[in-house]
Amino acid sequence: MNQSKLSIVDLTKRYAPGLDPAVDKLSMEVEEGHLVALLGPSGCGKTTTLRMVAGLMDPTAGSIIVDGRDITQTPVNKRGMGMVFQSYALFPHMDVAQNVAFGLQMRRVPPAEQSRRVAAALDMVKLGHLAKRKVRELSGGQQQRIALARALVVEPTLLLLDEPLSNLDAKLRETMRSEIRSIQQRTRATTLFVTHDQDEALDMADRIAVMNGGLIEQYDSPSVIYERPNTRFVADFIGQANFLTASVVADNGPTASGGATAGGASERNYTVDVDGLGRYGATGHPGFVGSTRELVVRPHRLRVSLEARGGEAGIAGTIVGVSYTGDTVGFSVRVGERTLQAQFMTSSAAVPRPGDSAYLSWNPSDAYLLPGNPEVAAA
Amino acid sequence: MNEAPLFKPKFKIGKPLFGILVFILYVFLLAPLLVVVVTSFSSNQYLSFPPQGFTLKWYEVLPDESIFVNGMQVSLIVAVSVTLITLAIGVPAALALERFEFKGKGAVLSLFLSPLLVPSIVLALGLVLILSPLRLTNTYEGIIIGHVAITFPFVVRTTMMSLATTDTSCEAAARILGAGPWTVFRRITLPIIQPGVIAGGVIAFIVSFDEAVISLFVAQSGLPTLPVQVLRYVENSADAAVAALSVILILISLVVVVIVERVMGLRKAL
Amino acid sequence: MTTTQTQERPGLRAGNTPGSLEKAKARRDRRTYTALLIPAILGLLVSFVLPLAYMIRMSFNHGEADGVIIEGFTLDSYIQPLSDPFYWKVTLDTFQMGVVVGVVCVALSYPITLFLARTTSKYKSALLAIAIAPLLTSAVVRTYGWMVILGSNGLVNSSLEALGLISAPLKLTNNMLGVQIGLVEISMPYAILAMISGFGRLNPQLEEAAGSLGASKFQIFTKVTLPLTLPGVLTGFLMVFVLSISTFITPTLLGGGSVQVLATEIYDQTTGLLNWPFAAALSVILLVLFGAVVAVYQRLTKKLGG
Repeated sequence: MNQSKLSIVDLTKRYAPGLDPAVDKLSMEVEEGHLVALLGPSGCGKTTTLRMVAGLMDPTAGSIIVDGRDITQTPVNKRGMGMVFQSYALFPHMDVAQNVAFGLQMRRVPPAEQSRRVAAALDMVKLGHLAKRKVRELSGGQQQRIALARALVVEPTLLLLDEPLSNLDAKLRETMRSEIRSIQQRTRATTLFVTHDQDEALDMADRIAVMNGGLIEQYDSPSVIYERPNTRFVADFIGQANFLTASVVADNGPTASGGATAGGASERNYTVDVDGLGRYGATGHPGFVGSTRELVVRPHRLRVSLEARGGEAGIAGTIVGVSYTGDTVGFSVRVGERTLQAQFMTSSAAVPRPGDSAYLSWNPSDAYLLPGNPEVAAA
Repeated sequence: MNEAPLFKPKFKIGKPLFGILVFILYVFLLAPLLVVVVTSFSSNQYLSFPPQGFTLKWYEVLPDESIFVNGMQVSLIVAVSVTLITLAIGVPAALALERFEFKGKGAVLSLFLSPLLVPSIVLALGLVLILSPLRLTNTYEGIIIGHVAITFPFVVRTTMMSLATTDTSCEAAARILGAGPWTVFRRITLPIIQPGVIAGGVIAFIVSFDEAVISLFVAQSGLPTLPVQVLRYVENSADAAVAALSVILILISLVVVVIVERVMGLRKAL
Repeated sequence: MTTTQTQERPGLRAGNTPGSLEKAKARRDRRTYTALLIPAILGLLVSFVLPLAYMIRMSFNHGEADGVIIEGFTLDSYIQPLSDPFYWKVTLDTFQMGVVVGVVCVALSYPITLFLARTTSKYKSALLAIAIAPLLTSAVVRTYGWMVILGSNGLVNSSLEALGLISAPLKLTNNMLGVQIGLVEISMPYAILAMISGFGRLNPQLEEAAGSLGASKFQIFTKVTLPLTLPGVLTGFLMVFVLSISTFITPTLLGGGSVQVLATEIYDQTTGLLNWPFAAALSVILLVLFGAVVAVYQRLTKKLGG
C-alpha cells in the first residue's frame, strides 16, 4: 500500500463540553508532494484542523500520523513543520535574514551552512537582495514571500499555510498563487493549505477537502469537486449552481465518457422528470431510478434559446434580468416559481431583453444528480 | 450673506479667548516647576521674588551637601532595586494574565492594580506597623518592600498593554520553527514587548525615586531618601538652597518622561 | 480498504483517550501560569495585603500615647475620634477640602482637556505629554514651588506689592487656602488624564450639527458638549477627591502645621504620639470615606450610562 505522508484519523476538537465539535471525527490522507486545500466558510473547522496538525492546539480525540508515526502527542516545537500565517508573523525585531535563519538556529545548523541555506531560500522567493532589510520596510507581498522562505528553509515535514493570501490585494494574490504553487512543486513539500476562497483552492490544489460544520463534505481533485459535487453544499460553495428537483424515470445505460463514481461503478445516463416541466437527460450514480433527487446544472452549462427549436423544446421561461459584465452576460430566467441563472460568453449578437421568452435546455452530462444528499420528497 | 459662513464665525470669536484661557491654565499647571528652576539660579539668600541676580552657587555647593549626596545615594539604591524587583515579578505576572485563561483572573488583576487605589499614607502606616516588630524600619529592605507595592501596578499595566497589542502568531511561528517556551520568551516575546517593559521600568524607577510618604514613615530617621530630605529641609527653612536640588529631581523626571513618551506614549503608559 | 482501518493502523499509538491531551495541556498551563503569578502574589502579599490587614487589626487594639499597645478587640480607637468634636472637624475639613479641590481642579482642567481633545495641531501629543508629565515629578518639589509662589515674599505677593495693589503681604501659605491652591495644581494632570479618555465621545460634527440647527454657542456647550463629557468629568472629580483627601505632603508643607486633615493626624499619631491603634483607626476612617465616595460614583455612572 502506498503510504500517505499525512494521515488524519478521527480527529475531533470540542472547545467545551456540550458545544458542537468544531472538528468532528475528521479523517483524511494526504499524499507525499501534494498540495491539499482545506476549503470552507469561516467556522467550518478548517483552521482548527490545521492548528491541530501544527501542534498549536490539542485535539480532543483522534490521531495525526506523519510518515507512519503518530505525532499527536509530539510538542509543537518537535514536529519539524513549517507554517505561514495569515498575518505572516514575521519577527518584527529581526531583519529578513535573521527571520529566515531562526528555524536553522533552533536546529543548531552550523553558521556557514545557515547562511548558505538562508541565501538559497531567499533566492528561491526572489528576495535575495532584501536580506538586511527590516521587516516593517517590506510590502505585504514581500513579507509573504519571506514567511514562505522561513517556513521552507528548514525543509519541513509538512508545509502549513493558513489563509496566506487573504491580506494581499486582488492582483498580487493571483501572482502569489502561481508562485506558491510553483515553489511547492519544485520543493515537493507536502502542503496543507487553509482557504475560504474557492478560486484559490481550484487553481492551486491537487486535492480539495470541502469542509462544513466540522465535517469533510467531499475530498477530491478540483475537477471532480466542480463537476461532480457530492452535496448541495459543495455545489453551492464551489462556483454557481442552479438546483432543480428531479424524479428519476429511466436508466439509459452507462455514460459514454465512462466516468466512474467513488464506489467504482460507472455513471449512468438517466431520464428525469424535472418539477413536472418535462423530461430531460441527466447523469448520476447507479441505482437512482424511482428516487427523487436534487439536480444541479452550472449557469454556463445551461443553453438558452429564444425560440422553441424543433427537436429540443426546453423549459419555457421568461427573462427577468440581464447582467452584462463585458466578457460574459448573465440571464435570470423565471420558470414557474423559480428563477434560474444562465451565463454566456458575449458575442456580437443582440442581447435579449427582460420580458423576452426563453427556452432552457442542457446536455445530459452537464446535469448531475447529487448523490450525497438524501432523497427529497416529490414536489 | 451666503449660507456657508453663517455658523463658522461663532467659533472664531471665541477661539482666541479660549486659546488665551488654555495658555494661562498651562502656565498655572507648570508654574511651580518653572518657579523652582528660576529660584535655583537666583542669588537671593531667602525665598523671595523677584530674583536679585543670577548665580550658579546653589549648584556648585551641591556635591558637598550631605543632604544631597546621602539622599541621592539612598534614593538611587532604593529606586534601582525597586525597579529590578518589580520588573522581575511584574513581567511574568503580566504574561500569565495576557497569555493564559484561568478562573479568578479578574480578581488577580484587581489585586495587582489595587495599590493605585489605596492612599499611600494608609499603606505607609500599615508598613510601619508590620515592619517595626521585624526591625525592618530604617532599612533599605523596608523602603524597598513598600515601594514595590506602589510601582507594581505600572509595570503590570504597561507590560500587559504591550502583550495585548502584539500578534501572538509570532510566538506560534517561533514554536513551530522549533523554539521551546523559554527560547520563545527570550528571543521573541521579550524583544517585542520591550517598549512596555521599558516604560513600566522607568515609571517604576521615578515613582520610587520621587516617593516621599512611605519613605518618610518607614525610614525617616535612618535612611532618608532625597525627597524626604527635601521635605524635611523645606519644612524647617524656606531658603533657596533646596531649589537646585529640586531642579535635579525635575531633570530626572524629565528624562523619564521623554523615554516613556518615546517608547510607548505617556498617556498610554500612565 | 475503507473506513474500518482506524483500529489496525500500524503507526497509531495507544493512549490518545478522548480529552487526555487537552487535560494534560490544561495541567501544564496551570503549572505555568501559577509559577508566573506566584512571585507577584507573594510580593504584593508582603508589601501590600499584610500591611493593610495588620493595620485593620491594629485599629481594634487599645492604644495609649508613647507606644503602649494593649492587645485585644475593642472599639476604643474608633470611639475616641468619633466622640471628639476635634476629629469630627478634622474629618469634615478633609472632606470639604476634597470637594473644593475636586471641583476647582476639574473646572480648571476642563478647558485644557477640551482643547487637547479637539486640537488638530501637530504638537497635540507633545502638548498632551506636557499636561500630564508633572505626574512624574516629585510632589515635594511641586509643593515647594508653590511655597515660593505663595509665600509672604513670594511671586504673588511681591508682584501685587510692586503694583501697589496691597500694602501688607496676603496670607497665602500656612493655611487651608494655600493647601487648596497647591492641591488643585498638583491634581490637574490626574484630572486631565482621567477626563481625556471620556472626551473621546466628543465629535466635532455633533457640535457643528447643533450649530447648524441654530443653537447658540452657550446652548451648544450646555446641550451637547457638557452632557457628552459629563462621565469623564465625574471620573476626574473622583480621582482628584480621592487623591487630595489622602495626600500628606501638601497639607504638611503648605499648611505649615496649622492645617489639620486626616493624613496629617495619622502622621502625628504614628510618629509623634506613637498611638498606633489610633492612627490605624483614623486610616480605616479615611478608607471608609474613600469607599463611600467610590460607591456613590459607581451608582452615578451607572445612572448616566443607562
